[in-house]
Amino acid sequence: MNISFLHHPIVLIAKKEIMDNIRNKWILLMTGIFAALTLLISYFGSLGQGWQDLGLTIAGMMALVQYLIPIIGLMLGYAAIVGEIERGSMSALLSFPLKRIEVLIGKFLGLGGVLSFSLLVGFGIAGIVISANVSEVDIGQYLIFLLASVLLGLVFVALSLLASSFFHNRSTAMGLAIFLWFFFTMIWGIIMLGVAMLSMDVETAFTSGFPDWYYAINIINPISAYGTLVSLNVGPVSSSFTEQAFSNPAFYSSELMATILFLWIAISLIIAYIFFKKRDI
Amino acid sequence: MLEKKIRCPSCDFVQTVNGEPGQTVKITCPSCNNVGAFQFPKDPSLHPSDDTSSAISVVELTKTFESVSAVDSATFHIKKGEIFGFLGPNGAGKTTTIKAILGLLYPDKGEIRINGTNIFTDEKKAKSQIGYLPEKVAFYDNLTALQNLMFYAEIKQVSKQCCQPLLNEFGLADAVDKKVGAFSKGMLQRLGMARAVMGDPSILILDEPSSGLDPRGVVFMREKIKHMQQRGATVLVSSHILGEIQEMCDRVCIINKGKIVAVDRIDNLGTRLHLRPKIVILLEKMTEKILKAVEKLKDVDHVETTGTLLEVNCLASAKANVILSVVKAGGNIMNLQIREPSLEDVFMRFTED
Ligand SMILES: Nc1ncnc2c1ncn2[C@@H]1O[C@H](COP(=O)(O)OP(=O)(O)OP(=O)(O)O)[C@@H](O)[C@H]1O
Ligand SMILES: [Mg+2]
Repeated sequence: MNISFLHHPIVLIAKKEIMDNIRNKWILLMTGIFAALTLLISYFGSLGQGWQDLGLTIAGMMALVQYLIPIIGLMLGYAAIVGEIERGSMSALLSFPLKRIEVLIGKFLGLGGVLSFSLLVGFGIAGIVISANVSEVDIGQYLIFLLASVLLGLVFVALSLLASSFFHNRSTAMGLAIFLWFFFTMIWGIIMLGVAMLSMDVETAFTSGFPDWYYAINIINPISAYGTLVSLNVGPVSSSFTEQAFSNPAFYSSELMATILFLWIAISLIIAYIFFKKRDI
Repeated sequence: MLEKKIRCPSCDFVQTVNGEPGQTVKITCPSCNNVGAFQFPKDPSLHPSDDTSSAISVVELTKTFESVSAVDSATFHIKKGEIFGFLGPNGAGKTTTIKAILGLLYPDKGEIRINGTNIFTDEKKAKSQIGYLPEKVAFYDNLTALQNLMFYAEIKQVSKQCCQPLLNEFGLADAVDKKVGAFSKGMLQRLGMARAVMGDPSILILDEPSSGLDPRGVVFMREKIKHMQQRGATVLVSSHILGEIQEMCDRVCIINKGKIVAVDRIDNLGTRLHLRPKIVILLEKMTEKILKAVEKLKDVDHVETTGTLLEVNCLASAKANVILSVVKAGGNIMNLQIREPSLEDVFMRFTED
């Protein structure tokens, strides 16, 4: 690593976000939560039979982390831009020789880094503890689960920055963040059900399978893409995944799911930049 | 077709004239019938916007918030090395103009150059030459004064070694490790100034630098600003404290309701407005003879009496004569005061409705 890279404004902004989250102990708290949660589910999830292996642990955790990771990602970033504008520190920051795009990317990398670190270390520590207590260990599955979780976290950090760039005060930005969470975790499922009921005979669909377009719409939701990505790679998840009691269509693939998650990150950041760039500070 | 706002030199009435490049148009002032002429520049690209000798060039800047016209085609040029005062009533558009200069808000129209560099096309180069003290000084409240300055030093790519001495210089030696969230308004203002002068920028933009400061702090800040000028910096300073502006500024710009109404040296502005010194004389006894003697003097344009108090408006050159003639007419002067036209008079005249 050369010196000029470490002094790039993007790196400096990212570093500031990371330091802030170390100082206020958020990073520690999140890491602890992720580790404790995994251990609890692994140990108690089997109803008194002791540690479950990694695959079963992941299956037990899916329902929870699908809600938890998005809300943490959104809460981390919803104030990152609008908060600084409201307090007044943004006008000073932007009077220095740096560009708005650098501020945005720096914040994304910093906050994304904080969440990724917590997920990797929290789940990682739990994974090591579990591995030491069970006979069969499939590291590969667990790694894919980790990386997928990191990707999901980054999607919601990017979405939170979008909310933060769009609104003129913290509270409305938080409102949008909470709405996005509701939308993707709850409302989406209702809409999908509505679409199914209006456009097909649901009874037969459940037994003989949904049409491809329906599967395609479903994975637009980053949380669905995440769930599918994990279920495609972790055996016990696909068998216990209640919503997916039916089999995945042939065109579902890990690559497609990862691409969808990456697209969410990229598109959210681009739209966030369009709003941030035009803003009066 | 070009458009130009012309100010009548004798009555200050402003009118808009139109013409083609190179064309000379005759102008008659609708208010006082004064006659003059104006030649439009041949090549519109030779417009002052290309003036690279200016430290800050603002041309035709216009910014509207929803329906409020905050700045309306403001044009002015700040010369390298001068202290340039920016005056105007509350809500006149000073902060808006300053923010536009820094690229913090996007104008509807207009061009801004920092030492010849366009702020919108070469943002980093333009901003690297500026130190800015915002109207609303804010820092990261959870960090200490030193941690804050170090962060900005990194962004500005200057050595972090400069931070501690800067804090000492601005009277914050005792607050180095104090969280900025616990700072008083005056301390924030000092820290804001330290941040602005960090790295010795060639241009300082200060939006009300003395706001929230105690009298000692005001003097201190003024000395700092002059000191920066001596080191070669150009300073744009907005303030409501006219005495301060009068003392340190080379030129001032007055903005009212979004429009620039005057840009000049303070003494020139006084002359243009025909502002005259006023002599206030307290007499032992007021007589008709004294009044007559003063009234018939050359270059005296207004005489007023209240009891034994005599007030005379006259040209600067007639001051001595006024006093002499009062004495000659038998007046016994108890007290005497001469009020020179001040920036306040200028300000009032330019910002009245
Ligand atoms: N973000 C904004 N949204 C809407 N209107 C604004 C905004 N900022 C400024 N204005 C309006 O623009 C006008 C000029 O405001 P500005 O802050 O530039 O005045 P100013 O000369 O700095 O005043 P002061 O001496 O009080 O600091 C005012 O009418 C103000 O209400
Ligand atoms: Mg202001």
